[in-house]
Amino acid sequence: MNFCKGVNRLNKQELMQLEKLLEQVQKPARYIGGEMNAVEKDWDKAEATFAFCFPDTYDIAMSHLGMKILYHLINEREDALCERICMPAADMADLMREKNVPLFSLESRHALNHFDIVGFTLQYEMSFTNILEMLDLGRIPVYAKDRQDIFPIIVAGGPCAFNPEPLAPFIDAFMIGDGEEVMHELIDVIRDGKKQGLSKMDILRTLAKVEGVYVPVLYDAAYNEDGTLSSFTPNDTAAPAVVKKRVVKDLSAASYPTSIPVPYTEIVHDRMVLEIMRGCTRGCRFCQAGMLYRPVRERSMDRLLELADALQKSTGYEEMSLSSLSSGDFTCLPQLISELMNRYKEKRVSVSLPSMRIDNIVKQSLEETQKVKKSGLTLAPEAGTQRLRDVINKGVTEEDLIRAVTDAFESGWSSVKLYFMMGLPTETDEDLQGIGDLARKVVRAYYAMPKEKWAKGVMVTCSASVFVPKPFTPFQWAAQDTIETVHEKQAALRQYLKQKCVNFKWHESHLSMLEACIARGDRRIGDVIYTAWKLGCRLDGWNEHFKYEKWLEAFEKCHLDPAFYAYRERPYEELLPWQFIDAGVSQEYLKKENEKAKAAAITPDCRHGCNGCGLQKWHVCDFVENPPLKGKPHRAEVFD
Amino acid sequence: MKMLVIFEKSERLRHIGHLDLMRAMQRALRRSGLPIAFSQGFNPHVLLNFAAPLSVGMPGKREIMEVPLSKGVCEGDFKKMLSAALPKDLPCIAVRSVDDRHPAPMASLTAATYSVQFESLPENFSETLHRFMAQTEIPAIRKTKTGMKPCDIRPMIHETLLEGNTLYMTLSLCEKATCKPDLFLQSLFEFAGQERPAALITRLQLLGGEAPGFMPLEML
Ligand code: SF4
Repeated sequence: MNFCKGVNRLNKQELMQLEKLLEQVQKPARYIGGEMNAVEKDWDKAEATFAFCFPDTYDIAMSHLGMKILYHLINEREDALCERICMPAADMADLMREKNVPLFSLESRHALNHFDIVGFTLQYEMSFTNILEMLDLGRIPVYAKDRQDIFPIIVAGGPCAFNPEPLAPFIDAFMIGDGEEVMHELIDVIRDGKKQGLSKMDILRTLAKVEGVYVPVLYDAAYNEDGTLSSFTPNDTAAPAVVKKRVVKDLSAASYPTSIPVPYTEIVHDRMVLEIMRGCTRGCRFCQAGMLYRPVRERSMDRLLELADALQKSTGYEEMSLSSLSSGDFTCLPQLISELMNRYKEKRVSVSLPSMRIDNIVKQSLEETQKVKKSGLTLAPEAGTQRLRDVINKGVTEEDLIRAVTDAFESGWSSVKLYFMMGLPTETDEDLQGIGDLARKVVRAYYAMPKEKWAKGVMVTCSASVFVPKPFTPFQWAAQDTIETVHEKQAALRQYLKQKCVNFKWHESHLSMLEACIARGDRRIGDVIYTAWKLGCRLDGWNEHFKYEKWLEAFEKCHLDPAFYAYRERPYEELLPWQFIDAGVSQEYLKKENEKAKAAAITPDCRHGCNGCGLQKWHVCDFVENPPLKGKPHRAEVFD
Repeated sequence: MKMLVIFEKSERLRHIGHLDLMRAMQRALRRSGLPIAFSQGFNPHVLLNFAAPLSVGMPGKREIMEVPLSKGVCEGDFKKMLSAALPKDLPCIAVRSVDDRHPAPMASLTAATYSVQFESLPENFSETLHRFMAQTEIPAIRKTKTGMKPCDIRPMIHETLLEGNTLYMTLSLCEKATCKPDLFLQSLFEFAGQERPAALITRLQLLGGEAPGFMPLEML
């Protein structure tokens, strides 16, 4: 076997070609690296080199928090280095292929295949063709079976790794769950294996023993005649029958970046991010992140302030955003915001909260954020009627929403974005009408204010995405609406939202259908992804590149039916492709929640008391013993 | 008090635009802990003025920006603190403190020196250049604020020097009269009747004063 040693950056000719390419492509600044705080380490001293690959373009990659955490964490090690590689835009990818320039890292311009480990973060199913494109541009065979003794080792993690099967044919090892600890263990194994001259198979076998690591080649899948999975079993003693997700218990003690690369070119979220907590206890039934990232863990105030200071000093960013699935639930939110505002007033740093739930927008926090900078207000009622909101367990009422927007309007906001989902289980026309009614009431709330408070008038933007059932949610068995139904519903919704001061935005239904196929796909979907890529699909998440017909062609060529994956309600008895993963939340709990959904019955936030979601068995959840909310549960919850 | 900062925009950074450079400098100043000044209003930003924007694709060896300060700082401390906050591809070369009444660098700018490194040059290029420069008038179409305008660029070309495959030249650069290196090269190769070879253009020095007595801008 043959690990590349670090002298071979792109050769001189390739570098000269690259300089020419950069003169021809759009936004060349995405490919130059050299940002403040980018880490350029000595290749000769690194015992393990890691290429952190983000399967989307630089502007999106650099906005992503997980990448910054792991980049920092690996580079903190003396024996390893981590460099970034992003998906090139279409013009760049084509030119690189034409001019024979391999995919290279931003830091030292090493080609992808020079690294020991290539790690992809899986954030979105429709970026999977980009993974194949990146491997190919990096001169690495895309199928794992064609790389038996070829390094690097290709690994992947992130939320989409919880159903790793669609990518199983391409990836050597997946990391399931929080990456902070398992990443170190994985690097150790590969570093040692490389030192000892082990075969790739032996390294993979050792990796399979690490908790939270899934090595697909060590498992066999078999299918029934009707296409459903009949069995899924390890074929090697090193592989556990059940792969447990990793959980970082103490977030305050976990590694977090004190400096992050500051891009030259504008990116989607160009600011420093403070992850204040991980996990969410609300239990919305459509939300995969809410289930995957349990239990809730908060970072301590001291740690957060220490990190904020370090980040502010090292980046010079003018904006800091607080991030989590449900920032409003953070215990000390008002104190944290006031303290940050006080500290950074002089330095003109603004503080923003990206995801705020409407039932706990603290009026005071609204005013505080606004003192420095006023950003748009985004609220997510998700469904148009109370009945459907109860079905999805979104514990939010119309009164909550109207109170929240009224507060915001009174503090000077005049534009509101409302997020909804279409095609939720049990949805009827009444629920769509409800969206129209809700928009009308929000506009009315604005004009209910005294006239002198009307600024330039109000703008309510309603955005409706198409519901995609996801693994490890109570709706993992649910059927997705067909594209025809979605189109009918979109047309109806357009009518209901034809109102003054209201704007309607909807999503590409074809994309959502494919997302549903891949999200709940099995191993065979890997061949569809490969075939689609071969047919020219890549950057599918970008409207201008999305080729629906090619995807359908790929399904046909692989003799698979998208309807089987997207439109079919799956019986509880069916073996699900991701069932061998233990995400903490139990299948029994998910079933129970799905049944409650059908009855439109609510499950209260487990901050009021443990609901027994399954995580209690690992003793990682503080709320089991000490539910933090002792007071009266939320209105919606009273009717549970 | 204001500080004139002479810095380099290195070759690796030639692909970033003027706004990117400005943002990078503003963030560097924020990191530096120096007593910088902010604009008023809802989105306060760090105040600074560049002598002249650099186009995308062009590195600059001695670029100049002016940084207003809210408190006095000595040159040595300023340079040390700013240098610590700058990425390595954007080094600070020198600084000079001036008082508030000192004219903005943009106002004193009159010309700039460039180098053009050609990948290869046609034969007898030196002779062609000589004949080109011997013309008393060089008509060209110049892009101005009010559109494309025909004009004579000969008075805007002050000096040329060929050394191997590298051409050095001093061209006017101010509001009234600017001859961009690109326009110069276009005219030159049209005159020669030859295809323009690939080249890397670098801005070497910003100048003030009048020909032939140009001075480095930072010394004015
Ligand atoms: S174990 Fe109990 S308290 Fe913890 S997340 Fe699950 S339901 Fe909530």
